[in-house]
Amino acid sequence: MQRSSLAVFLIIALPGSGAGSAVVAQDNAARESRGLVALYDFSEGSGTTVNDRSGVGQAVDLKINKPDSVKWSSDGLSVTQSTEIVSQQPARKIIDAIRKSNALSIEAWLKPTNSKQAGPARIVSISKNSSERNMTLGQDGDLFDVRLRTSGTSTNGIPSTSSPKKSLQVRLTHVVYSRDQAGATTVYLDGRQVAKGKASGNLGNWDTDQKLSLANEITGDRPWLGELQMVAIFDRVLSAGDVQKNFAAGSKAGSHSAEERAAETRLTAQRKVFDTQIAPLLAEHCIECHDPAIRKGGLDISRRTTALIGGESGKVITPGKAAGSVLWESVAANEMPKSRPPLSAEEKATLRAWLDDGAEWPVEVIDPAIYLHEGHAGEVWVQRLTVPEYIETVRSAVGVDVSKEAREVLPPDLRADGFSNTAYNLTVDLKHVEAYGKLAEIIVSRMDVLQFAGKFSKSRKLSTDDTMRDQVAAMGKWLLRGPLSSNEINDYSGIATTVASAGGDFKDAMSYVVEAMIQSPRFVYRIENQHGDGSPRSVGQYELASRLSYIIWGGPPDDSLMQAADRGELADRGKLEAQVQRMLKDSRAIDQSLLFVSEWLNLGRLSSLQPNPERFPNWNAELAADMREETLAFFKEVAWEQNRPLAELLSAQVTFATPRLAAHYGLKPGGKELARYDLSSVPGRGGLLTQGSVLTIGGDNASMVSRGLFVLHDLLRGTVNAPPPCVNVVPPPTRTGLTQRGIAEGRVANENCGVCHVRFEPLAYGLEKFDGIGAYHEQDKHGNAMREDGDLLFPGDAEPIHYQSSAELMKLLAASDRVQESLTWKVTQFALGRPLIAADAPVVGRLHKAAQQGGGTYSSLITAIVLSDLVQLTRVPY
Amino acid sequence: MTHRTLSRRTMLKSVSAATIGMPFLEEMLGSSASAAPPATVPVRAFNVFFGLGIPAPLQTEGFEGVMEPLKPLREKLLIMRGVDHVRCDEKGINAHYDGATAAFTAEPPDGEAKAGGGSIDQMIRLAHYPNGMPAGMVPTLVGGTFFRRSRVGRYVHSYNLDGTVAATMQERPRDVFERVFGTVVFAGDPKDVFRQRLQRSVLDTVVGQYKFYTGENSPLGATSKGRVAEHLERIREFEQRAYAMQRKVDGAPDLPPDSRLLHGGAADPGGEGIDITLEELTTEWRLMADLYALAIQTDRVRFGSLTFLAAGERIRLKGDYHYDGRQVFQFDDAAQHKKSGSGGCSHEWWHKFNEKNRNEQLRAHAHMKLNEVAYFLKQLDGANSVEANGRTILDNSLITISTESGDGRHNDVKRELSGVFHCIAGGGGRFKTGHILDVNAEGLDVYNTMLSGMGVPGKLGPKGREAVSIDAIRA
Repeated sequence: MQRSSLAVFLIIALPGSGAGSAVVAQDNAARESRGLVALYDFSEGSGTTVNDRSGVGQAVDLKINKPDSVKWSSDGLSVTQSTEIVSQQPARKIIDAIRKSNALSIEAWLKPTNSKQAGPARIVSISKNSSERNMTLGQDGDLFDVRLRTSGTSTNGIPSTSSPKKSLQVRLTHVVYSRDQAGATTVYLDGRQVAKGKASGNLGNWDTDQKLSLANEITGDRPWLGELQMVAIFDRVLSAGDVQKNFAAGSKAGSHSAEERAAETRLTAQRKVFDTQIAPLLAEHCIECHDPAIRKGGLDISRRTTALIGGESGKVITPGKAAGSVLWESVAANEMPKSRPPLSAEEKATLRAWLDDGAEWPVEVIDPAIYLHEGHAGEVWVQRLTVPEYIETVRSAVGVDVSKEAREVLPPDLRADGFSNTAYNLTVDLKHVEAYGKLAEIIVSRMDVLQFAGKFSKSRKLSTDDTMRDQVAAMGKWLLRGPLSSNEINDYSGIATTVASAGGDFKDAMSYVVEAMIQSPRFVYRIENQHGDGSPRSVGQYELASRLSYIIWGGPPDDSLMQAADRGELADRGKLEAQVQRMLKDSRAIDQSLLFVSEWLNLGRLSSLQPNPERFPNWNAELAADMREETLAFFKEVAWEQNRPLAELLSAQVTFATPRLAAHYGLKPGGKELARYDLSSVPGRGGLLTQGSVLTIGGDNASMVSRGLFVLHDLLRGTVNAPPPCVNVVPPPTRTGLTQRGIAEGRVANENCGVCHVRFEPLAYGLEKFDGIGAYHEQDKHGNAMREDGDLLFPGDAEPIHYQSSAELMKLLAASDRVQESLTWKVTQFALGRPLIAADAPVVGRLHKAAQQGGGTYSSLITAIVLSDLVQLTRVPY
Repeated sequence: MTHRTLSRRTMLKSVSAATIGMPFLEEMLGSSASAAPPATVPVRAFNVFFGLGIPAPLQTEGFEGVMEPLKPLREKLLIMRGVDHVRCDEKGINAHYDGATAAFTAEPPDGEAKAGGGSIDQMIRLAHYPNGMPAGMVPTLVGGTFFRRSRVGRYVHSYNLDGTVAATMQERPRDVFERVFGTVVFAGDPKDVFRQRLQRSVLDTVVGQYKFYTGENSPLGATSKGRVAEHLERIREFEQRAYAMQRKVDGAPDLPPDSRLLHGGAADPGGEGIDITLEELTTEWRLMADLYALAIQTDRVRFGSLTFLAAGERIRLKGDYHYDGRQVFQFDDAAQHKKSGSGGCSHEWWHKFNEKNRNEQLRAHAHMKLNEVAYFLKQLDGANSVEANGRTILDNSLITISTESGDGRHNDVKRELSGVFHCIAGGGGRFKTGHILDVNAEGLDVYNTMLSGMGVPGKLGPKGREAVSIDAIRA
């Protein structure tokens, strides 16, 4: 997450019950640095190198060719005679980022030597020679002039945008030039807008082989003399507010001395080791027994403070000396972890090195939940459209409902990590290929192809020399959710010529082009540019449009969203938020939220549930369907109709039932269809956990293990390890005098089992009165009275909270930060189509906070998600 | 050149026999019930087209100039100069297209995807086989190597009488092979056959897209690429199951290698041209020529057309061109034009043609193309092509060789569409050979004379037009 060496590193804790993670964040208060791709603060003080201190990707350092022509000072670098300060390699990371974003800002703090130098004299330039450039900020007498190469300007970047005459003065000046995706250019001096212009077209034609140069043209023939205190380049537009903020921060905001930077670098490396290696290791091997609740040997290793204090036998960690650390000695001797496999040699070496290196421990609390999916940390999977996404995409794109056929011929998407939209598990089989082909044929056969083609061009010419290429480009942009490359236009246009050569007509050509497009990877997958240097960067406009629409609607961008992308408006936070609010008002947003619930609670399993018919003679497929409908209607009521915080899903005193389900629940049936029931006077029933769809998770025996684990995993994001080998996991049967609760309490009290079972079985005590299919009873089949009191232990807490009734349990859960946070994690995981990893935790923490500030509703959460860096920035695998 | 000539030796008889038991192929739809090996010499007609033309002034140089490659066959050919297609000029339409559609039809195009009428080969086919071709025979084989594909008339040169294309273009050697020797593929109602063929083209494009996303320029990272690569593999599997040749006819040669050239839309990037080496081009040409010739030799094909580059073709050719033991030219269009893109294509040599200049590059290109045409003709004139009457297929067939223009200047229709190079084989002794003739006549009259000579009762051109017989070409 580090984006700037100007950052001040903070240690922050995640919101919730004290759970936290290693978070290295930058202090953005001083300067706006989102979208920063290169930064020069001239703090070197000496030497022939000007370092890129952006911390983004591969640094583009600059070499001063004539050291005698410059003077270093504490303020910066004075160029007193002509020299070149130039990158040794093409400035690829800058060029690539700007080509991709189609927007940029150049910021500089500078002091010209005079107001006469011209040419323009090059201050900041990415160019090849005096007539070929990507961009140049220059001085032309008493004004600043910026040349920018676009598809609409010359290779020399002309026409340029200039500040007014006499706007340049011989004093320290803050200069910013920005160009948005729609081509609007703006020049600011000292925080004030002084000029506006236009550089229409796009930046996709930037030459990738040009170098970055300061104070001169690459060829050395357009020198600029003066003092440079800071130069920054962004791959986005700095808003007027951003510019004012940076101006107010001054030219030296956040600059560090060389010593400070070295220390910072070392600290950063140590923290990275802790974040990526030590914390996951401790979470996996140690915290199971050494957390606040268990504290074996009096040691809690989940918190920095308690870990450094040690346990009953004293300190276990000696920073800087593994050999003197009990932690190391016990691990090295395989004494720890007890009753579990020992650490691997590699893990041991990592632990030892960390201890020897000072045992840097940058977080207050280690939350094991955030390390559950670290195995996927380096992966960036392209997302294949799920079956529902495919259906919705076809419907939105060409107006054909292919849901019946698609569900018949496409293999179902399989669940992984709790959802069936998990990208790494969206594999492809021969059946997919056959199905995509068959469906393409069906779709086109149901389309009015000529009418569809007519949306993009009135021409009906087949010739690629006339209008076919434009037709294909426009149609492809819509179907494939973004502009086509010239190669793609060639390829798809080729189908039209092939059709023509086989004697086909325009309609045939369009039909086959559509068939090809809807089988292509850009339709079937959500293709994004994943290239990069390992640093996150802003996603492109069309990619963002797709991210928004698939997250909010489960389908492709609509016209409005595509047009916003065309105009580059999604880079504007205000316009982006307006789009999100518009989208949330569309019924597709509700459908998508219901899909989330269905996936989260795996409601699909209800249709295949087969409880023992002797024990549950009332069970049938209709009742199962009623339970599914109940939960969906309940969610819709809480999240949309009432617009209540998601946490109220646990406690809302209302439900929806058919007469059949109402009778099953012991409610007096009302109406003939699904009807709303007020549960405020119904003891025990109320909230998701008391609905049949969830209660059936416990199976015929209403297993407290299964129900408890569901609450632990899905509502509390708690972790437990698998039972040790050779443990008999078959529970004893109930009998007179022995209830499920009694059996569970026995496991909790057991020395071997209790370490884990205490974390989840008491969570289900409050549900004991609900049988395997969710009916309510005061006594079990043996006549034993059942209870609903219990203890709720939140992960990371030392002491459980006692509750007296099921209703009290639900209220505790609904009020819990941990539960609210867990709902955020679940919705976020579904939105992203991948399990969250430790690196996501800080961002999820921030977006959770934003969502809670927005009321904690589904809408506020989705808004926070799509505005967060998880959606706004790319994840790049390398 | 990585080319190995195909042999007819093992095929001649067996292929004829193998027509029995072949599946229900598209071409059978209109075929007669009987199929017999040709005990007598059958009527055949083929159109051979090469892109860009031979400016009329260069045609006057006889076999000493660009026509040198035809010299070894001169006794079997009639070269006609002064053939005029000016009537085929269509206002507002690119002259390359007008000229190319005029070739073998002598009529202006009808819209962007139709010729103005039937082509010579189809006129003859319908006259001699009114009830369809013998069973198992490919009724019309349209093949060729071309890149410029904006309009059909640039590269398809067999047309039904209503101006629609007579058969689907086969643009890869494997396509020709499967069409002629394969026992695959497309069956059923003609509309279904049309659809199946085009669906394959769709699949080719889809495969191209998946290949891109697994290739070097893919925007995807390694993990995602792996997923798309899996998808591509599954498509390959599907392709194999759906379209692969289940078997080939007995005695057919091995399946030719995959084409190394660009095809489909990628071959014509908006008229900007493509880079290609002489070796790549001639290797594919010769393979196409061999396969096409083999199809004729084995009597699987009697009518059709073969294209050597489209009209107004845009390639940037590179490579040393040798002929008869000497280096004729070193092609390097882009460097010699000092331009990239369309401005660096060989096409521009025609625009720059000036009879007062040496026109070195144009000459070399035209020479090279006629050398390839000659290669094809020679395949029909060798020992493998000797027929029941003791003469070769070249002798016994009407093979018409033509091109798109007689000049290269779009601003002068008269020059461009008059003096279009034509050359025919003897058509079984029906036409004069061994001459270079200044016919100085309208293409319509020349073609109608050829049709008349071939026993075709109908005529090309507008009804009521007074025909002029060009008797000078008759034997």
